Amino acid sequence: MRKKDLLRICLQNLMRRRSRTFLTVLGVLIGCCSIVIMVSLGIGMKETQEKLLSEMGDLTIITVSAPQKGKGKVKLDDALVKRLRNMDGVVGVSPKQTLEVDSIRLLAGTGNRYVADWTSVVGMDTGEMERLGYRILNGSAAKRDGEVVIGEFLAYSFKDTLRPEGRNMIDRWAGELDDNGQPTQLPPPYFDPMKTTLTMEIATASGTIKLPVTPAGVMKEDYSKGYETSEGMIMSLTDLRKLLDKVQGPAKKKLPYDSVLVKVSSIDRVADIEQEIKAMGYGTESMESIRKPMEKEARQKQMMLGGLGAISLFVAALGITNTMIMSISERTREIGIMKALGCYVSDVRIMFLSEAGAIGLIGGVIGCIISFIASVIINLVSIGLSPENIPAAILGGEGINRVSVIPPWLLIFAIVFSVFIGLGSGYYPANKAVQIPALEAIKSE
Amino acid sequence: MTPSDARSRPIIEVKNIRKEYPIGDETVVALKRINLNVMRGEICCIFGTSGSGKSTLLNQLAGMEKPTRGEVLIGGVPISRLNENQLASFRQRHLGFVFQSYNLLPNLTATENVAMPLLFRGVPKAQREAAARKLLCRVGLSHRLDHFPRQMSGGQQQRAGIARAFIARPDVVFADEPTGNLDSKTTVEIMNMICTFARDYHQTIILVTHDPEMASYAHRIVTLIDGEIVSNQVNHKEKSRHET
Repeated sequence: MRKKDLLRICLQNLMRRRSRTFLTVLGVLIGCCSIVIMVSLGIGMKETQEKLLSEMGDLTIITVSAPQKGKGKVKLDDALVKRLRNMDGVVGVSPKQTLEVDSIRLLAGTGNRYVADWTSVVGMDTGEMERLGYRILNGSAAKRDGEVVIGEFLAYSFKDTLRPEGRNMIDRWAGELDDNGQPTQLPPPYFDPMKTTLTMEIATASGTIKLPVTPAGVMKEDYSKGYETSEGMIMSLTDLRKLLDKVQGPAKKKLPYDSVLVKVSSIDRVADIEQEIKAMGYGTESMESIRKPMEKEARQKQMMLGGLGAISLFVAALGITNTMIMSISERTREIGIMKALGCYVSDVRIMFLSEAGAIGLIGGVIGCIISFIASVIINLVSIGLSPENIPAAILGGEGINRVSVIPPWLLIFAIVFSVFIGLGSGYYPANKAVQIPALEAIKSE
Repeated sequence: MTPSDARSRPIIEVKNIRKEYPIGDETVVALKRINLNVMRGEICCIFGTSGSGKSTLLNQLAGMEKPTRGEVLIGGVPISRLNENQLASFRQRHLGFVFQSYNLLPNLTATENVAMPLLFRGVPKAQREAAARKLLCRVGLSHRLDHFPRQMSGGQQQRAGIARAFIARPDVVFADEPTGNLDSKTTVEIMNMICTFARDYHQTIILVTHDPEMASYAHRIVTLIDGEIVSNQVNHKEKSRHET
């Protein structure tokens, strides 16, 4: 028989018992919907979790620290930086060193009117900053000597010495706070530090060192990266080294770095590389240690939800088998006639398998459409019901936590799975149909 | 050997057929030792009362069942030894069936029903349905082409059944009590139609009946009693030569 004819016969037979076909398809549809929705909730959960984690810190950054006491003699030095940089999968490396002094003040404005009593100064490879996940909000990373990148809220740590004590600072938390506890609107600071030169004043045993620095850019606050991103500043390593020499006097030997930041190309390489660095004898820290168990838990939940969905699809499969068996016992004579007239056994099998497969396919496709709509509605309810939120509910986006996420592969998988369920549950009935002898045509009723 | 180049030898050869059915612990012998030859173009009637084994013999001849012993050759092909697929393809090319209860598929129109044997062969829709319509017009159903079986009378359904049996130009057409459910006037029409087709295309008809009136259409009457052939005679008064 021709494929076209087989298809026509398959559809004809499905249309013959419309209500029965409809009910069977409905079963598959519900099963398919429950799988898709359940899995999409799982994916949504995972996505939300990942977003949460990445807000806590960049997931692909490993912080390498000095080995714990008694564990070898490896040091955080330039040799290590070079070695890390040459590792496969590492895309960015920068050492980090903090300026440790007893007292540091920042002065700004005419006559050094504005004073910050304390700040945090960190040196790193400023060229690598953006690659390591530091976001420059304004301006650029420091390039020349004497240039620094300042923390987002550095301006708020200054007090105005011309105002009375107690009312000479601007509290950025004074205004209204949003749901996350962040100020909705920042009050304007006394001055814009990007437009002035700051003077660093460091008290040492041998006197006070004054050093002018020029802010080249402002970086976004990120607590996972350190306090300096908020109310401190980052300068180039060379500048910091020079400063350290001045503060401590010419050092006999180079101080080791406090830590080294390593940026890995993708999230699934983090664990390997972290392992490799650990094997070199260093301590490491990354979000991986938090992410892993969370991911595991999310996967478990996802499996559980998917399993629940799968049960309903399994029930639907029984429905298909039942429908096919009924239809075969009704059509016993017909099958006999067809065989008597020269229908191949394989064609009989294909006929019934394709009917079962078509039920699966139709149920799968409609199920996917319905679950897609349901997913959009669920997301709309969580984001807020309004037409302009529809694209966000479908595609997601920055700062949008979708409850239900349906990636294209899930839809394809659901349809393919439904078809296989259909074919699988049609297998036994089709074999039954094949075994009906041509003799059935002659038997008188 | 294909049936068409077997001009000189019988189209159907039945050699020492025995058929037993197990019923419970006992074995019932339905056919005892049947030997039969049918020539091309012959209308052969297998005549007998119910229980005589005539239907069983038909089943063996048409390859619906395998004989316990012996073999059946149609056009030299031992059909009792073919497997399911070979049998299907053999049926497509060489065998046609007319059933007592018409056996049209209820969800297909007259045209689709008649075209069915060609469908199994893989003939394109337009071509096979044109052939079916032509044949339906010949059996006088030009006004019923797109009707479903339930919209047609018994006689009309059987005419469609005949058209279906002949559409693929088979060598042998098996007719199992083809008029068993019809009135006498329609019976005459139907039998004449079968005989005309057979003569026009030089086809062989195996007619199974318990009705002596029907047997009179045949060239040869084989009478069965209790699974044995008791007589095998040429019918000199056959109707099919004189009427139509």
